[in-house]
Formats: sequence, C-alpha cells, structure tokens
Amino acid sequence: MLLTRRELAALAAAPLTAQEAAPQPENPAEELKAAGERLRRTAGTLTKYAVPMDAAPAFSFKA
Amino acid sequence: MAKVGDGVFFATVVELSARLRAKEFSSEELTRAFLDRLEKLGPRYNALALLVRDRAIGQAKDADDEIKRGLLRGPLQGIPFGAKDLLSLARLPTTWGARPYAQQVFDYDASVLTRLARARAVLTGKLSMVELAGGGGYRYAAASMFGPGLNPWDPTRWSGGSSSGSGSAVAAGLVPFAIGSETWGSILTPSAYCGVTGLRPTYGLVSRYGAMALSWTMDKIGPMCRSAEDCAHVLRVISGGDSKDPGSAGKTFYYGPQYVPALKDLRVGFATSDFEEWIEPAGRPDSVKSLEILRGLGLQMKEALLPEFPYSAVAGLIIDAEGSAVFEPLIESGQVDELADQKQIAGLKAGLEIRVKDYLKAMRIRRLIQQELRKLFIGFDVLVTPATRGPATQITQALDRRSAGLAKPRSRGLSELGAAGNLAGLPALCLPCGFAEGLPVAIQLVGRPFAENTLLAIGHAFQQRTDFHRRKPPGV
Repeated sequence: MLLTRRELAALAAAPLTAQEAAPQPENPAEELKAAGERLRRTAGTLTKYAVPMDAAPAFSFKA
Repeated sequence: MAKVGDGVFFATVVELSARLRAKEFSSEELTRAFLDRLEKLGPRYNALALLVRDRAIGQAKDADDEIKRGLLRGPLQGIPFGAKDLLSLARLPTTWGARPYAQQVFDYDASVLTRLARARAVLTGKLSMVELAGGGGYRYAAASMFGPGLNPWDPTRWSGGSSSGSGSAVAAGLVPFAIGSETWGSILTPSAYCGVTGLRPTYGLVSRYGAMALSWTMDKIGPMCRSAEDCAHVLRVISGGDSKDPGSAGKTFYYGPQYVPALKDLRVGFATSDFEEWIEPAGRPDSVKSLEILRGLGLQMKEALLPEFPYSAVAGLIIDAEGSAVFEPLIESGQVDELADQKQIAGLKAGLEIRVKDYLKAMRIRRLIQQELRKLFIGFDVLVTPATRGPATQITQALDRRSAGLAKPRSRGLSELGAAGNLAGLPALCLPCGFAEGLPVAIQLVGRPFAENTLLAIGHAFQQRTDFHRRKPPGV
C-alpha cells in the first residue's frame, strides 16, 4: 500500500495504541507460573517474619 | 468580557477563580476553551476517556448564574476539571481503563463528583488510566484500553500510572486540575513524571463511594493540580465523612495554613542515601538541591531511617489478595484475558490462590508497621524522599526491570516510604523539584495521619521559592 507524505506524517504523529506499545506476545502459561512463584516468594518472606501473638490484623483499618 | 486567551491553560485554580469573579470571562467561556483543548489534545497523549461537553456547558452556565447573583461558593466555582475514569458518572460509560468494562454504565455519581458538582466545579471529561488501576501488577505502560499514557514533556515517555490521563491532562494544560486515585503510587508517580503537584490524602479522608475498588484497605482518592495551594482547595471540597464508604474516617479537611506551626519548628526527616544513591544519577542534582531549599525555608532537617520491615512484600500481597477478590467474577468468567497486559492477567489469576494465612500475616505485619511509624513520627513532623527513583520511563520499557543494574544503597534510608506510607494510610504531597534529561523530577513529603495542612504549608512555601510547578512542557 502506498502512503502519501501526509499520511506518513500522520502515522508518525499518532499516539501509540496499547497493542503497539507492548512487546508481544508473552506466554500466558509462563506468566501465570511466574506470577505464582512471585507470590510464593513473597509469602515466604512474610513467613520468616516473626509477629507477636497480640498483633491483630489491621482489619478495622483507620489511619 | 475579554476573550479567553491561551494564558488560562496553565493558570492555577486560584488565579482562574479570581479572573472569573472579576468577570474577565465567564465559566461557560472558560469551560468551552478547556473542552476544545481537551478534545483536540487529549488523544495526543492518550489522556481522554470521555468528553462530557453538553453536561459541562450546563454546569458552567449554572456556575455563571450563581456568580452573577453574587452567590459565591469557593475557589472551585466555575472551574473545569477532569476525573480519572475509575469514578462513576451516572448514565455515562465508566471503563476503569479495561476492555471488559468498556460498555459499563452506572446510574449514580461517585461521591467525589457529587461534592465537586455541589461546589460548582465543572467536569469536562473522564481521563484515562491503567486498566483496573494496575491490580495484579503490570509490565508495560500500554496496560490500558486507551493505550499508554504519553508524557507531555516527551511523548516517547510514560506519563506514569495508574492515574495516567490525570497526570498528562494537568501537565498539558487540558484541565486546571484532575482527580486521581492511589493504592500504591498511582497519584504520586504520574504527578512526579508529569511535573504536577499531587496530594494523596490520609486513608478515609475522601470518600471512595462510586470509585472502582482495588484494595478496600488501601485505596485513596486525591487531587492532582498546578500547586500545593490548589490541592488544598480541591481537598477542602472532596473531603468529608460518607456513610456510603465503610472506610470513611468521618473527618473533613479545612485549609488552614495559619494553624500550622512555624516552619522553623517543624522537623523534617530525610536520608542522604535516598538522594545520593537510591535515586538514578540523572535525578540526583536537582533532588539534592531540593533539600537545600527545604533547609532554606527554616525547617529542621534531620537524618531519618525507616524501621526495618518487608514493606513492599506486605503491600504487594495485600493488594494482590484484595484485588483478585474484587475481580473474582472477571477472572472466573475468563474475561480477564481481554486485558492488555499479560503480567497483569497472570497476577490477577494467581492472586486468587493466596492463602488466608499469608494475607493475615501481611495484615498483622501491617499493624506493626503502623505502630512503628507512629513512633517514628514522634521525632519528626514530615519525612521527605525523592518521589520516584528517576524521571519518566520510556513507553516500551519493561516497568518491572527499571531498577536492574542500579547498585543497592548502603542504607535503606526512607526509600520504601511509598509502600510504608500507603500501608499506614499516611498523607503524601508530590512537589516538582527540578529536571533530569529534560524530564520532571519530584520529591514527596509524607506526614502524620490528617496532617495535610502541614504538608501543604511546606509545599506552598517551597513553591514560593521555586517555579518548577509553573513550567510548561515544550511545544504544548
């Protein structure tokens, strides 16, 4: 397809769309596996952290 | 009346309000000028989600009518603004930046928008955002149905997230102020990247009714403006108790810089390592200078150190667990796969598998963090750090690889103040403090709960001495 100079300029000036800007594709199965591993590592970090028995969860959260 | 000139686009709310009252132009004229600009330039930065022209002109006419009758409500009366597309606006699309919600319509307004309408501020448009405010974690700036937020200072750079459109729109003079939201970094990052002044209020000070939930225990809504003083005026209007938000603190903010102790009596904590090692080299010179400016204001500057906690792990796990619970129907329906960012899709799915014991552990450590920060603030009134690790990233850069290659600072300093402050619900003010490679850099001030007046008083004094918040992106 031939483009005029004006069309080329418009294309160059056009904002990037979501699909254009993200290097694609990543492998969804691998991403899910990596996300699970990340969460397990995070949980492992927290498990190692000693918390006194009377430290109740911050559920009734007020600043 | 004089014609609305280009000078209005980068004026502060305070200045525009004075000119409206002096009848230099009407709210309708001002609103039409901003609507045209937002419609024309918003798409250039992928900042515009929805223009609400007819509604805005109606609101502007109402404001004009009141001003004409001498019924003056406050500085926001007749001033246009934009709102992150995470806030519902009755009978119009509210997309949350995510393709699965592209057709979503609510039949009520978010409390924040109701309050702004009562103050006769004029909503001109909904502004783009990272899909689902980044719940699940995202790798690319393009994680939005609107495309990546492009930075007015350099459109090859990101405007930050998740309040991307709010940051771009204020920086490019498309709105005088915008509303953003933060769970962890979503007001401060785009404010810093775009060179605007952003305020993350204390948890519970601003109602979240009608806003998309990402983390019930961490979400906050706040203003993104041209100055600290403007942030104060917007916060004054949007704060206040709301029985429709279970997290509401039932408190209202009143702007009263006169009630803040003299600056010479305020103790500001900082860590040299944050400014000389943690931040990327390009951002160091102006960030270090900002400490001198703060010192020059008479503030007592003292070295500080955050208590040792796994802040990022705690914040990340809580947001992942709550975010995945919020979006469980989306995940279970399979529509989550329509999101733009693979990492985010995976993060949301994986978050459903978080064990109860791990969430509880995170929330228990959070309790300790709150207690220890309370103790830290006995010795300090305010803590200051660079707002981000460096200036805006390239649009195509993988966001989770930003710190790769950077040496670990010798001290942890206050570098995890972003996670810590959000976990403890503390207010933060982002102040532009200079430039690196032609891009804005900023500092953040963090204070005790409900100490917004202290932050704003320091911010206002800082901005009386500097003009970074008044600079315009080139070519805009």
